[in-house]
Amino acid sequence: MVGLGTVLILIGLFFLVVGSIGMLRLPDVFARTHALSLTDSLGALFTLVGLALYEGFNTNLLKILVVLGLIYLLNPVIAHATIRAAYRSGLRPGSGENA
Amino acid sequence: MRFVTAAVLFALWLSLSATLSPAHVAVGAIIAGLVAWVNPVLPHKRRLSWLAALAYGPWLFGRILKSGVHVSRLILHPSLPISPRLVSHRTRLTSDGELVVLGNSITLTPGTITVEVAPGQLVVHAIDEESTEDLVGGALEGKVADMFRSETSDS
Repeated sequence: MVGLGTVLILIGLFFLVVGSIGMLRLPDVFARTHALSLTDSLGALFTLVGLALYEGFNTNLLKILVVLGLIYLLNPVIAHATIRAAYRSGLRPGSGENA
Repeated sequence: MRFVTAAVLFALWLSLSATLSPAHVAVGAIIAGLVAWVNPVLPHKRRLSWLAALAYGPWLFGRILKSGVHVSRLILHPSLPISPRLVSHRTRLTSDGELVVLGNSITLTPGTITVEVAPGQLVVHAIDEESTEDLVGGALEGKVADMFRSETSDS
């Protein structure tokens, strides 16, 4: 369990790092938000599931699952709110505020 | 319905408090009951197919993993071969529940994000053409429609 947990945490860390690199490399707010969904959907998922396995079966497992459920419900909402605000204020992909 | 709300809240309380001492459990039960009693019951005219909903989770996870690897490759590629685009997509889904699940699923999947939502119409930002496959091909939409099948049949 501890071994598997460690492997999953490392996979999660990989996606978190790639998401961060994407945040720096991608050109505009639209493209950067894609890096965000990478860190949320996969980075947080693998890290938290790995942590749950690492912990073993106790009450912390339930708390981790609650956090995971909240992340999966709330992060799309936040990403959507950000990108819709950008869209409504006139930004378009490729117009490049810092491309 | 109120009873289900109270039960879910109580389960959440138990998992967060992580103790079974009588005082904690009693306070949790009272508060869960109180919250469920005070809040109005949401109109519940829609039916969800639980079987399809259970199958949807793993299917969506597979999609997220696949496009996650794809987007990771794009980001790590030295020449950054992205071609961002806005895709306007007509959908046959119109109810709030369907659109919430569809919009959230699109945003959760790396490479696509919901920009604007209206009944029957979605504006989606995609990082490249390959990321739009599920959406344009209608695979995602079909799965969401399956979940709310009985809902679409009575309308």
